[in-house]
This record gives sequence, structure tokens and C-alpha cells, in this order.
Amino acid sequence: MRPLPRYRTQSEIDEQTALGGAYVRSLMRSQLRAGLTAFAVLAVVVGTLPLVFEALHSAALVWAVLGFAAYPPLTLTAWWYVRRAERNERDFARLVEGRPGP
Amino acid sequence: MTGAGYAALVLLALLLLGAGFLLGRRTARPVRTSDVGTPVEHATFETLHTASLAAPPLRAGLTEESARRSARRLRSLLGTDALCLTDRDRVLVWDGEGEHHGRQVMDQVRDLLASGRDTAFRSDCDDLDCPLRWAVAVPLTVDNRVLGTLIAYAPRESAVLARAAGEVARWVCVQLELAELDRSRTQLIEAEIRALRAQISPHFIFNSLAAIASFVRTDPERARELLLEFADFTRYSFRSHGDFTTLADELHSIDQYLALVRARFGERLAVTLQIAPEVLPVALPFLCLQPLVENAVKHGLEGAVPPPRDPGSAAARETPTRITISAFDAGSEAEVVIEDDGTGMDPERLRHILRGQGGRSTGIGLLNVDERLRQVYGDDYGLVIETGIGAGMKITVRLPKYRAGVHGS
Amino acid sequence: MSRTYAVAAVAVVFLATVLVGGFGLRISRTTSDFYVASRTVRPRLNAAAISGEYLSAASFLGIAGLVLVHGPDMLWYPVGYTAGYLVLLVFVAAPLRRSGAYTLPDFAEGRLESRQVRRLVSVFVVAAGWLYLVPQLQGAGLTLKILTGAPGWLGDVLVASVVVIAVAAGGMRSITFVQVFQYWLKLTALLVPAIFLVLAWRGDGRPRVTFDEQLSVFRADHPLYATYGLIVATFLGTMGLPHVVVRFYTSPNGRDARRTTVAVLALIGVFYLLPPVYGALGRLYAPELIHGGDADAAVLLLPGRVIGGLGGDLLGALIAGGAFAAFLSTASGLTMAVAGVITQDVLPSRGVRHFRLATVLAMCVPLAGSLMVSRVPVADSVGMAFAVSASSFCPLLVLGIWWRRLTPPGAVAGLLLGGGSAFLSVAITVSGAVRPPGWPHALLAWPAVWSVPVGFLAMVLVSLATPGRIPSGTNAAMTRFHLPETLTAGRHR
Repeated sequence: MRPLPRYRTQSEIDEQTALGGAYVRSLMRSQLRAGLTAFAVLAVVVGTLPLVFEALHSAALVWAVLGFAAYPPLTLTAWWYVRRAERNERDFARLVEGRPGP
Repeated sequence: MTGAGYAALVLLALLLLGAGFLLGRRTARPVRTSDVGTPVEHATFETLHTASLAAPPLRAGLTEESARRSARRLRSLLGTDALCLTDRDRVLVWDGEGEHHGRQVMDQVRDLLASGRDTAFRSDCDDLDCPLRWAVAVPLTVDNRVLGTLIAYAPRESAVLARAAGEVARWVCVQLELAELDRSRTQLIEAEIRALRAQISPHFIFNSLAAIASFVRTDPERARELLLEFADFTRYSFRSHGDFTTLADELHSIDQYLALVRARFGERLAVTLQIAPEVLPVALPFLCLQPLVENAVKHGLEGAVPPPRDPGSAAARETPTRITISAFDAGSEAEVVIEDDGTGMDPERLRHILRGQGGRSTGIGLLNVDERLRQVYGDDYGLVIETGIGAGMKITVRLPKYRAGVHGS
Repeated sequence: MSRTYAVAAVAVVFLATVLVGGFGLRISRTTSDFYVASRTVRPRLNAAAISGEYLSAASFLGIAGLVLVHGPDMLWYPVGYTAGYLVLLVFVAAPLRRSGAYTLPDFAEGRLESRQVRRLVSVFVVAAGWLYLVPQLQGAGLTLKILTGAPGWLGDVLVASVVVIAVAAGGMRSITFVQVFQYWLKLTALLVPAIFLVLAWRGDGRPRVTFDEQLSVFRADHPLYATYGLIVATFLGTMGLPHVVVRFYTSPNGRDARRTTVAVLALIGVFYLLPPVYGALGRLYAPELIHGGDADAAVLLLPGRVIGGLGGDLLGALIAGGAFAAFLSTASGLTMAVAGVITQDVLPSRGVRHFRLATVLAMCVPLAGSLMVSRVPVADSVGMAFAVSASSFCPLLVLGIWWRRLTPPGAVAGLLLGGGSAFLSVAITVSGAVRPPGWPHALLAWPAVWSVPVGFLAMVLVSLATPGRIPSGTNAAMTRFHLPETLTAGRHR
């Protein structure tokens, strides 16, 4: 509940100076990179699966993959992304507040 | 393109030619009155139109940006080759040819900035082709302060230009004065909001500190806690950034406020909360619920002597006053209700207070909250108060979950 | 199947919902403790609530029906419904919450500072909501038909009235506990009978399920294209569904919004393990449904067929209750969202009375639609709502959150070209003007493959062509969307 001291970089961001803009843009880039990585993995796997199914023509495989196997990787990817995004935000907060790393 | 296309083009050209010829005849003829306007009238309209186009940027005050956006229009009003606007220190904009003159301008207008009198000067330069040989400079003044200058250039001396420049400068001055007025009005509103916000009653501060002081000997631990609550509460109330907060934070501040009140009144105050968790993130104007709770406390506890004609309330004083704070989800809005079973109020008197005629001491908190809610959300979102003498009071606040520009924290 | 049990189960579900909604807050949150009263909704609870509102009749009945008729390829539906949340998570969840927007029109107005864009987005929200409501009503009508033998239209009208009354009376507000209750109810209602059905199947000597005869007229040609169309629509469409967006407002901050989304993925992933079981068993025990029109009824009929007796009746009643919960929660969530948008952006003034009027309006159009249009399979018509959402809201959200140069004209162009073309395609398909087989039908029935790129392209190109119209608050908005709460909210505490 104690107030955080207001840091200089913080006010740059609040006042949307050119420097503050650069900070926010770098945060956005790191978050977008994390998001695009997760999305690319999803897109590549999902994009090729229908072709694989078409080629192999095996109903059992479709059942196994789409009925069961698809869900754990989806949740795991999401979990990975959340950890990555939160780490990005922690790093950014440290950068802004000028604290040394752990 | 086909033959028909060519034919159509030729026809169109002929029509335009004819129209141009007729228009030329009409405007050339010296007509005294005309339903569609004489040339003089048209020229006036054009001038007024140009002036009106130049006005909006100037309403922002005399800055590089506003000067840049208005200079071209001003120059076309004057019909000169070049026009320069300066503030007290530097050239803000140069519109037209001969920009190299800009370097000497500030030296040439130094006297004018001091005296505030129109001047004219020869503007010599080495470039023989440069058409700018003469200039008239006029001060831009607001409240007898010279804010800057307007300088119009011409190939030769011209009294007409001198007069025109004076008139245009006066017109610019009026716009700048309006800009000042705008600014001071905004400042006034902001100051008012600040004042409304920071209106923790001195009584409350005094009473809280007195209550805390009474615990210092008997229960130092509690006194320390209360002092921390007091510090937190005042910090929240006096914080300088952001006009909005979230319902969760506002509730937190109400909690601190009630802890301080309880220090004085002990068990005579019972509070019941019923908050739907869905509406806790709703953003709302800073300190707009706490005064309502304060009002409820006042009516419940400090309503002091009950009216003698109401025998029930004497007994009621023995039982604790109950304050209920509830918040519900209502689709795209949140509804907050603050209810007390205190002395209530005469609806007629309440109406007076909300019209701003209630006098200094009472209900100022209610009035402020009502005004601020209307300011932020519009007149549909004022306080709704149900009350009667001896019937308690129920205040309902509706808060839109989203309103452009309203962001919590 | 015993009608008495089933009708009783439906009544119990309805009563329980109203009771939890009406008294849940009073019981759970009446306190004098501020700490208790100002506890925000935790991510897991909110995730269960989102899942409860999201799992609709299409999930509960539709998927099993599609699998029964068309085979395992239809399992792309549940995978898409789930993966949509992953896309929502990585691009939208936290920034959307931090924008403070309650609805998509709010987001559009806050980001682009334009009332016109707001109004256009409102139109699309209403359109997508209506498209999504039609199959919910049809599913409800079907359920009642199976349960009571009443004609199909009666069921539609009855359920529409129930939802309108419940929403207008305020009994179905988006109360977290109600939706959480709905999720666990739906999961139980599908899980318990599934266990018994699988046991019965094992006792039956475990006959093999075969999918030799591929006779789907609707998707006979270009199955690969249809699959991709489905994937694009469901993966990118989830983020724009009106009743999903509003629930993110309940998260106290962007970080919790992210965690909530992960939990949603896990919860609906668990749920979607079940419908395929019913689809496969339906193939064995209710084969006549393949040729009849009402394959969506497979889930409801199976317990009676496979188990029979009192046990079958009770399990059937449980499923009926779950199915009713499925369209009650989704339909009322959608109606709430659509009615909210109508009150705010369409009707001249606001207030409770207008909200009631809007609720009726929000339900009338889809009701008329469900009565008039031919019965497209439930999951397929839900897929169309996803296609419209994916082509309009997905570009708006993704570009609005990540691209500074988005302009109001760009957004309008993208919405009209992407979302508009998807909506037209869907309308043409539903009207039956273009019939299978052939490419024209395939392209119109699964528009997302081309309409999503069209939406993105139009938005980007027109924005680039109108650089002067970039909203002045863009930088402030971007900062708000992406800055973590540790740097904003905690400052005065």
C-alpha cells in the first residue's frame, strides 16, 4: 500500500514524449514477437494437418488427433505464451523503474 | 474513346464556354442591386469566408502551429506577396516569397515590440529580383500586452496595405483575446473540479484527529492503525493525477473513511455491503461515492436531535444506524445504491440544495457529486435520491461501464 | 424417453438458474467486510463463467450431430472453437481489457475516436449476434420437439419468450456465479451419461464404428476448402463474439485477463472431449439419424437407445437439462449483448424501459429467421456467425491493438468489405439461392478463407492512403493497451 516513487522514465511514458514512445514501442515489439511465435506454431501445425489427413486417409488418426491430442498442446502453448508475456512485462517494468535484475 | 464520347466532350466544352460568357457579362455589368449579389457583395462574402477560415486555428492562441495554419488565409485577406507572423522572440511563420527577409525581421520590429505602435520600414536586400521592398508591421496585442507582430510586405509603399494590415491585425487580436478567454475558462473549470475533489470537510479532519488522539493513551496500537488509515485516506483524496478511479479503489477509500468514523462513534454504525464482483473494475469520477457515504453517516449519526413530533426516532437512536452500500450489474451500466435509515430529509429542502440554494453547510457534497456526474456522463446520469423526513435516504448512482475518455487509475 | 423426467429436468435447470441469479449475490456477497466485498473475480472463476456462456447448443448438440453424419472431419469444429481462444489470448486478451472497453463498439470508439466507426461496429455486432442466435433457437426448438413432440416452431417461440422475459426482468444478468453453475452443469450433463454409454458399449462387445459411406450433400465437393474455411472462421472469429468480449470486462486487469483465457482453453478443451463420443456411438445406435434431418438430436436420444429403462430416462433427463442450460446461457448472453448495443447505439434515449424494448427487438429478428430459413445444421450456421466475426472484428481488433497507422476510414473500409462480404455470402447461402455442388456454393458457404484477407487488406490499404486521419490519441491508446498494471494502477496505492 506504500506509494511507489514516480520514476523519471515513468513520467516520460505518461507524458508521451518521444522517449516514452520508444519505450512503449519496444514493449509492444517484444509482446508482438511472443504472440506471433505462438500464432505461427499454431498456424503451421493446423495449416498442414488437413493436408496430412487427406494424404493418409485414416479415420483413426483424425479421431485421435482432433478428438483428444489437439487440446493439451493448445493449452500448453497458451501457458507458454502467458509466461513469456508476463516475463516481458516484468522486464519492462524493471527497465522503466531502473531496478537491477534479480 | 468513341465518337459519341468526343461529341459529348465538345458539347460540354461549348456549354461551359457559354456559361462563362454569360457569367462574365453579368459580373461586368454595373448592376446596383441583384438577387444573387453584386461584385462588391461577392468580394465581401469572400473576405468574410476567408476570415472565418483563418479564425479557428487562432483560437488556440499564438503558436507556431496556429500561425502556420492561419498565415495563408491572412495573406489572401491582405492580398500581399508575403506575410510574416512573429511572437516576442522569433519568427513564427513566413508565408509567400522572399523568406530570406525573415532573418532581419526581429531586429526591425524590436522597437515596435517595446512601444506597441505600428511601423513601416524599407526592406532592402541584395537580391535585385526580390519584389519585397517595403513592409508594414503591426503589433498583436491582448490586454495591452504585445504578444507578437504581423508584418505585410509589398513591392512599394502602399497606404491601402497599411490600413488593411491594421484592420487584419485588430481582427487577429480579437481572436487571440477569445483564445485567452477560452484558456482561462478551462482553467477555471479545472480549478473548480480540483476544489470539489479536495473537499474533505475540515470538520472531518478535526474529528478524526481528535478521535485518534483519544486512543493514543488507552490503545496506542489502534491509534497507530487509525493514523495510517487517515494518511492513506487523505493521500487518496489529495492525489494529483487522474480524474478517475475504479469502483474497487473508491470502495477501499470508503472503508478507510468508515474506519475513522467508527473510531468516533463505535458500534452505533452498522455497514452492510453487497457488491457484485462484475462491476468492481468500472471506472468512475474520483471521490464521487465517498461524499454520498459521508452524507449517509451524517444523516444517520449526526442528525443529532430527532424532531420531537416523531416519537419513534428517540428509540431509534439507541439502535445502530444501518448504512447499506450495494452495487449491481445492469448490462452496460453499473448501479450503485447507498442507503441509510437515518433522519432523512424534506424533499423540498433537498430540491433546494440540488439547485445550489441550500446554503453553505448542508448537502454541499451531494451537490458536487451530482454536478460532476452530469459533467462526465451527461444529464441522464445525475443522482437519484429518494427520501422523506424520518424515512432515511436512498441515493442511486448509475455509472456507464464505458465512456470515451473515462479510464480508471 | 420419458417426457416427464425430461420436462422436470428442464424446469429444474431453469429454476436453479433464476435462483442462483436472484439470490446468489445476496447470499454470497452480503457482508460488512470491505475486504470480502471488494474481492474481484479470480481468473479461474471467470474462466468457468466464460466457458459457461460460450458452450452453446452448437457445442452441446451440434458437434455430435455433425460427427454422426459427416464423420471425424467435423471434429475441426470443437478444435476451432477452442483454438480461437489461443488466438484471442496472444493478440487481444490483455490489451482489450486494458482498453477499458465493455463492448466492441466501445473499443472502436475509444481507439479510433469516431462515432461513425462505433455505429458501424454496432451494426456488425447486432448482425453477428443475430446470426449466432438463430441456431440457438433452432436447437432449442429441436430439443423441445424431441422431448415433448410439440411442433418445431412452438419450441423456438417458447424458448425465445423465456429468454426475453428472463433477460428483460433482469434475472439473467451476466452474473458470474450463474455462468459458472451453467458450465459445471453442462459438463456433468454430458460427462455422466457418456460414462454410462461407454460402459454399455463395452458390455455390448465393443462394436466398431465405421464411417464408410460419405454422403454429405452439403459439403460433398471441395471438402478440403471447407475445412480451411472452417479453421479460419473459428480460429479468428472467437475474439469478436459479443458475449465473449463483455465477460473480459470482469477481469480486474490485463494480466488476469490473460490467465483467465488460459483457464478457458483448459475448461472448454475438457468439455470438447465428450461430444465426439456421442457422435461415434450415435453412428452405431441411431443410424437412422444419418438420413433423417434431425442428426442434432443424437445426444438426446442415445441414453434411451443404449441403456433404456429408468436409468436411460434419468440420464436422458440430465442431458435434456444440460442442453436447455446450453442454449439458455448462450442465448441470454447474446441477447443481453445485442440488446445492450441496441439500447446504446440505436434507440434514441436510454433507460430500463428502452432496454426491455431492445431485448424484444434483439430476439424478434433471429426468431423470425429461425422460423423462416431452412434448417441448416446447428454447428454449420454457428460457423457462419464465426465467419462474419472473423472477417470484421478480427482485423479491427488485431490492427487496432498492434498497428498505429489504423485510421477510421480504413476501419470502415475493412468492416464493410471484409465483414460485409462475409455477411452477404452467409445470407445468400442461407437463402438457398446458390445450391451445392460447385465452387460458387463452397466459396459462399465458407467465406472466411477469402473474406478475412479482404478485410485485413482493405483496412491496411485504406489506412495507408489516409495518413492524415490517424486519430490524435493513438499513442495514448497504445500506451494504455500495452503498459502493464504494475506501472499504472499501483501508483497511488
